[in-house]
Amino acid sequence: MDCEVSLGFAPLAILIPLAILVPLAMLGVQRLLAPRRPDATKAAPYECGAPILGTAHPRMPIKFYVVAVLFLLFDVEVVFLFPWSVLARDLGWMGLAQMLLFLGVLEVGLLYVWRKRALEWE
Amino acid sequence: MRRSPIAHEPFITTRLGPAIDWARKNSLFPLPFGTACCAIEFMGVVSSQFDVSRFGAEVVRFSPRQADLMIVAGTVVYKMAPILRTIYAQMAEPRWVISMGVCASSGGFYDDYCTLQGIDQIVPVDVYVPGCPPSPELLLDGLLKLQKKIDEQRLLEKP
Amino acid sequence: MPNPNPDRVRGHLGEDFLADCSSHGDLVYAVHRRGHRRVLRALRDDPELRFDMLMDLTAADRMHLPQRFERFEVVYELYSLWNGWRLRLKVPVPADDPHLDSIHDVWKAANWAEREAFDMFGIRFDGHPNLKRILCHHEFVGHPLRKDYDRRRGQWCATTETLEDELQLRRAAEHRAHNGQAEPAEALTSERMLVNIGPSHPVSHGTLRVLVELEGETIKHAIPEIGYLHRGFEKSAEKGVWNNVIPYADRLNYVSALSNNVAYVKAVEKLAGVEVPDRCKFIRVILNELSRIMDHCVCNAANIVDVGALTNFWYLFSVRENIYKVLEKLTGARLTNSYTRVGGLARDLYPGFADDVRAVLKESLPYVHDVLTLVKNNRIFQERTVGVSAFSATEALSYGWTGPCLRACGVPLDARKRDGYYFYDQFNFDVPVGEKGDAYDRILVRFEEIFQSVRIIEQALDKLPGGPVDTDRNRFVLPPKQEVYRDIEPLMNHFMLVMFGTPVPPGETYDSFEVPNGELGFYIISDGSGKPYRVRVRPPCFYLYQAYPEIIEGSMVADMAAVLGSLNVVAGELDR
Repeated sequence: MDCEVSLGFAPLAILIPLAILVPLAMLGVQRLLAPRRPDATKAAPYECGAPILGTAHPRMPIKFYVVAVLFLLFDVEVVFLFPWSVLARDLGWMGLAQMLLFLGVLEVGLLYVWRKRALEWE
Repeated sequence: MRRSPIAHEPFITTRLGPAIDWARKNSLFPLPFGTACCAIEFMGVVSSQFDVSRFGAEVVRFSPRQADLMIVAGTVVYKMAPILRTIYAQMAEPRWVISMGVCASSGGFYDDYCTLQGIDQIVPVDVYVPGCPPSPELLLDGLLKLQKKIDEQRLLEKP
Repeated sequence: MPNPNPDRVRGHLGEDFLADCSSHGDLVYAVHRRGHRRVLRALRDDPELRFDMLMDLTAADRMHLPQRFERFEVVYELYSLWNGWRLRLKVPVPADDPHLDSIHDVWKAANWAEREAFDMFGIRFDGHPNLKRILCHHEFVGHPLRKDYDRRRGQWCATTETLEDELQLRRAAEHRAHNGQAEPAEALTSERMLVNIGPSHPVSHGTLRVLVELEGETIKHAIPEIGYLHRGFEKSAEKGVWNNVIPYADRLNYVSALSNNVAYVKAVEKLAGVEVPDRCKFIRVILNELSRIMDHCVCNAANIVDVGALTNFWYLFSVRENIYKVLEKLTGARLTNSYTRVGGLARDLYPGFADDVRAVLKESLPYVHDVLTLVKNNRIFQERTVGVSAFSATEALSYGWTGPCLRACGVPLDARKRDGYYFYDQFNFDVPVGEKGDAYDRILVRFEEIFQSVRIIEQALDKLPGGPVDTDRNRFVLPPKQEVYRDIEPLMNHFMLVMFGTPVPPGETYDSFEVPNGELGFYIISDGSGKPYRVRVRPPCFYLYQAYPEIIEGSMVADMAAVLGSLNVVAGELDR
């Protein structure tokens, strides 16, 4: 029997309140101490001092979205790989076969994406 | 337009005010509005031999939203003046301006049809640094004078 | 400079020939404006003459000069790369009807140059696609370089141009290029974004503005605007005496101020027919090469920082600081030195200068080697710069490119080798030449030029002769102060020089000099009064930056930084 003491969720109990309180404290200090003088020019978008042409929200080419979505999908696949890889030895051959099946399903999707030339930038 | 809510508390402002001013003066974020030769000397100030980061001002930010000190380094011509005015207007308070070099301070030796005879005609200037171009030590001296000015400004009590 | 066969040139001029105005070793002809376009095109296309470069296009207001055809004169400075010949054509333009044909389609370099001539003098160029002001702001009324415009009359500008008109012109041109058909399908579903990368931006190296129209990340149109540092050099030069222009010349390409000093006084000395002593020439060579090292260090430091590597900036700036120490000891100033004078130098070298320079070079070279090692075979750096903005040599020549950018395109044009002035033909050095003309080539060409400059400096220091540094021509340079306080002759000489200027006889000439960025030319006109009548700077950056839209359209936004830095556009010289 090891002598480690499991800390459980104690680190989270310290970190989460801190993560909430520190930004709130900073914003609070700013609310108390900072001057507030809003102005039309100050609020305008920054275009290196020149007049603003066009909007900041045009319709972007779809390829940015496609790359982002593909990344998301395959990133989630990788996330699933992590817990399996930690326990791979314990899960044995059966686990490997199941994982390969999981990956295989997703690889079919990758092949489809490849053939449809969604991986090319231009 | 409002003052800081704690501005009327004498105990807090006499203790907190200098502390805030100390923090602000030692962490100035310059916006190098560099146009001409003075910008090269400014680059020399930022580089390792003259090292402006000793004074806390090494984080140069080219966006006015992220900077509080605008260093106008170089000649400003009439064509550039609206740009300068807009960028100054887009900086958030508290903000300061150092006019580096004689061209920015008074037009320099360009007394002609296209050069703005000093940026103080369009933006309020806190420190004027003479020289053509000023040597890096002189700009650092200007920065120290600005820090002294910030100490005396009592920003918390300003409206 | 060698000149072409005058008869062959005269053959092309035909009946539009007005006069032969050759002087000071230059071949100059005056041509009537009804035929100058035909003449220029013929000179460009002639298989033997091959004037493939328009070095400069400028104008002059000859209102106060006794010898003139009309009030204005448009001057074309031509250069033949293959033969090394120069030719100047002058086209008189009357004041009551100031217009003539544009030659923007003969050489692309003429486009912006004609806009500038229009801006400064009010001369209209018929057929120019976009004749509007380029240096003065859009609310400016009048033409400042005319002799009747008061130098000190400033005009405020309240707004910045949106550049939409030029954008519409480009969009129309693109539409025509697609033959009026709809653009490819992807463009139908995405909108283009307009981003202004303006005068106050870290990438813009000063005061350059570019309006880009982006489709995703690709630049479809780029519209540059210059003039945000137009300080009126040419008008200010007319205000004082010949030597008073030297501080203004310093601030042209302010990262290599001494080169500009030397270029200017060399041109004035050519006009005056003055020969400076050998010692002066050697010193000018050493200072020019030190400036070259400084300029290339700054250019590469800024360029590499824009690509993402900050360390090299500190290293290369240390090189610059070391050279500053020597220059400060010699001239009194770090950056803007004003060390040369017409007819010589401000003062002689201090004892120990040669040792100081050698020590500085020895200390600084390892920094440059370090940076080159870090960068040359670096995969990331190569991905950012190899193949980016490759530019062909023919296009570059049409745009009037000179200097390291042209050499990176594969054209071995270097005025030091070609003209051999100031004993450059006796120094042993190579001219690095690139292959593709991409950003990588330009950066490496500059690094190589630093090493070659070190070679030249060492040879010059070894061969440095003794003797005076100023010309011995009577009443041309300031006499020593001890004599001024003792005798009446030197006192009068001093007085005349300071109050009434160096006695440069009337005339005009064009002289070129290889500064770190290319060919810096000065076209100067003297009326004999001791004050310059007209000083025109042929800025290398002006002609380099004009090609920027052509290089950058089609590339991605991120390439803008790498390309702009590699062109080394210095606003002081671009806008004057």
